[in-house]
Amino acid sequence: MVGALAISDLRTRYGRGRLRSIKWLLDPYAAAGVYLILIAFVLHREGVAPGLSIACAIVPFQLVMATTINALTSVQLRGSIIANMAFQRALIPLASTVTESIAFAASLTLLALMMAVYGVAPTIAVAWLPLVLLVTFAFALAVAFPAALVGLWYPELNTFIVSGVRTAFFLAAGLVALGQTHGGAHTLLSLNPLTAIFESYRDVLLYGQSPAAWELLYPVAFALLLLGVFTRLYKREESQFAKVIE
Amino acid sequence: MSGFVGAQGLGVLFRFDRQRRVVTPAMARLRRAGPTVWGLRGVDFAVGPGEGVALVGPSGSGKTSLLRLIAGVLLPDEGRIEVSGRVGSLLAVQAGLMPRLTGRENAMLLGVLAGMSPPQTRASLEAIKDRSGLGDAFERAVSSYSMGMRARLGFAVADCHGADVLLLDEVHEALDHEFRETVAERAQAIRGRGGIVVAAGHDHPVLEGMCERAIHLENGAVAEDGPFERVLEGYLRSVG
Repeated sequence: MVGALAISDLRTRYGRGRLRSIKWLLDPYAAAGVYLILIAFVLHREGVAPGLSIACAIVPFQLVMATTINALTSVQLRGSIIANMAFQRALIPLASTVTESIAFAASLTLLALMMAVYGVAPTIAVAWLPLVLLVTFAFALAVAFPAALVGLWYPELNTFIVSGVRTAFFLAAGLVALGQTHGGAHTLLSLNPLTAIFESYRDVLLYGQSPAAWELLYPVAFALLLLGVFTRLYKREESQFAKVIE
Repeated sequence: MSGFVGAQGLGVLFRFDRQRRVVTPAMARLRRAGPTVWGLRGVDFAVGPGEGVALVGPSGSGKTSLLRLIAGVLLPDEGRIEVSGRVGSLLAVQAGLMPRLTGRENAMLLGVLAGMSPPQTRASLEAIKDRSGLGDAFERAVSSYSMGMRARLGFAVADCHGADVLLLDEVHEALDHEFRETVAERAQAIRGRGGIVVAAGHDHPVLEGMCERAIHLENGAVAEDGPFERVLEGYLRSVG
């Protein structure tokens, strides 16, 4: 059922044919290019393989951002189905996450490209990548439930929510690695679960080391907290969707 | 195959905010609460195997809410409803269709959501195409369909999954005369196998072709329940 919802979502949002994979790549590649220019040429904060370091943040953030945008309109998009038949509405945020994970998988090529550009050879630490990807997926899924509800409750705030998520990127160690920050900024950025996710990608792909435990556990704990609160709320609200969507 | 629908003290509550927008209970807590209105309240009835029941009444009387409760689209805020048998529903002209998908893709999605496995659904697609009478349009995006074509596809999908309880809400009124006959025939066939048809609308001759019993709803309550002709007469008298 999730597969059917995700396939229909992919066709609705991204169209058909080979060109759609180009659409998936445009955003992360363009964002990586812009931020690389900003960091390397405008701010002159080169660091270690800055393009790869930025890609390690942009690629996972792409999944979180795209899932949020998708989930914000996910209930309304399926309004005609919701008003017509009974099915497990809890699958809607899950389908949003699966849909965007397919686009996310395409954007992983950016990481491989940047590793090749900077001559960073993969190490045994790459074996951690599936777990790191799984943590990213869990985090995106946890964000999808509140996004679906907020998109239904306050559709007029969708643009603001997207801006808020984008702000969360800048309040994390996205453009510069956590190791390049100091003092209060370092502490503050560490509190953002996105920082943990970004750093886990850097550990595995850039530094060639195992991710620190907090880099995996902190976002998972954050995701479990969000899921614990919002899946219950979503469950209570889903029987009322048909009253609200019209 | 047999269906049953029973309701006891059924109620649906609509909450509004100060701007008269319908809100969910959680939204009502977040926004400044407005009035509450019972869309249905104290509704009791039972529909047994082989019955066809028409819901008549003015707009806003609760017909759509009642059909949505039977379909499981809404849960009652009060009372209880029991439905046995597979439900096939066509509760809006949009018929659960997503405009950017083709007829075939919509049929596939709705089949799986209705509880069929993907292989089962795939196997039924040609039958749905034939029953809908859409021909080549089945492969085109639903956004290019007329309301009648959407209703045809929606009905073919709802009917093709072996519905024991068929629910129709005014949708048949968007259909052309040829397909209305098809709908009436299919409704009779479902009832003949012990299934149930519950249809709402304002085209009373069409309803009479499918149902021998009617429930007149007025302000969210059952005003009269009985033989179609008698109930319709009472309803028409009440609206002058």
